[in-house]
Amino acid sequence: MELTEELKTKMIEALNLEEMTPADIDDNAPLFGDEGLGLDSIDVLELIVLLERNYGIKIADPKQGKEIFASVRTMADYVAANRTK
Amino acid sequence: MNTMVKHTVKLTPNYLEVNGKRVAETVAGESFLTKLYRLYNMEYPKFFKMDVLCKVGFVASEVLLGTEGGERFVPRSDRAVLLFNRHSSLHADSTFQHTIANPDEFYPSPSVFVYTLPNIVTGEIAIRNKYQGESSFILLPEKSEEAMDQAVARAFMDRETTSVLTGWVEAVSETEYEVEMELRMKNDE
Repeated sequence: MELTEELKTKMIEALNLEEMTPADIDDNAPLFGDEGLGLDSIDVLELIVLLERNYGIKIADPKQGKEIFASVRTMADYVAANRTK
Repeated sequence: MNTMVKHTVKLTPNYLEVNGKRVAETVAGESFLTKLYRLYNMEYPKFFKMDVLCKVGFVASEVLLGTEGGERFVPRSDRAVLLFNRHSSLHADSTFQHTIANPDEFYPSPSVFVYTLPNIVTGEIAIRNKYQGESSFILLPEKSEEAMDQAVARAFMDRETTSVLTGWVEAVSETEYEVEMELRMKNDE
């Protein structure tokens, strides 16, 4: 499975996006804000846990979050470059 | 204080009653709460992120307020939300504990943690409906109509409150819950 698809599946499970399937999430669509998935600040924390748990990535600087979680594509790029497992 | 009950909702894992009339029943293998969410067109995606206590309180309040009719989602401070139970948010507390129980798998879940307080239910209802009056979730040692009546009577003592969304909202697991919710109105006549 491609990393972007894997991330979408894990996001749907972790964030309880029951109404969605991976196909509903555009790789490049914004995850936050009215135009995207409409995720909130608690979801960001859940995504940080997701990256640590599944890929061994610890995000120490919260400021990085805005760039990392801009879209599924940016998440996948960050995971590919920084994963430890 | 002279008050009257305007509408009632009873929700259990097996059925939903509105004003004493059974309006929906569960079918084996389905999620009853999700079914009701869709049946009543609640359109509040945050529902899917809620813990079971919040879900049952939210669903019951949506059905109750839909039954009341009239304009909704307009800011108002004359309606209080006053709920009760015995087990607080124990189910969410337990679920959260599982996320931190194993030192080698220590991943506290933020989305579970936010529901480890029962008054999240009253907050969700108040936010959804733009209620700005009193909002409280009171824990009782056991279900007591007398204790609940007293608390509701106190809520009516301020100068603003003219109605109270109130009732027993208990959920100890995904399949064990009980809600008896009602709208109580100040009756000046």
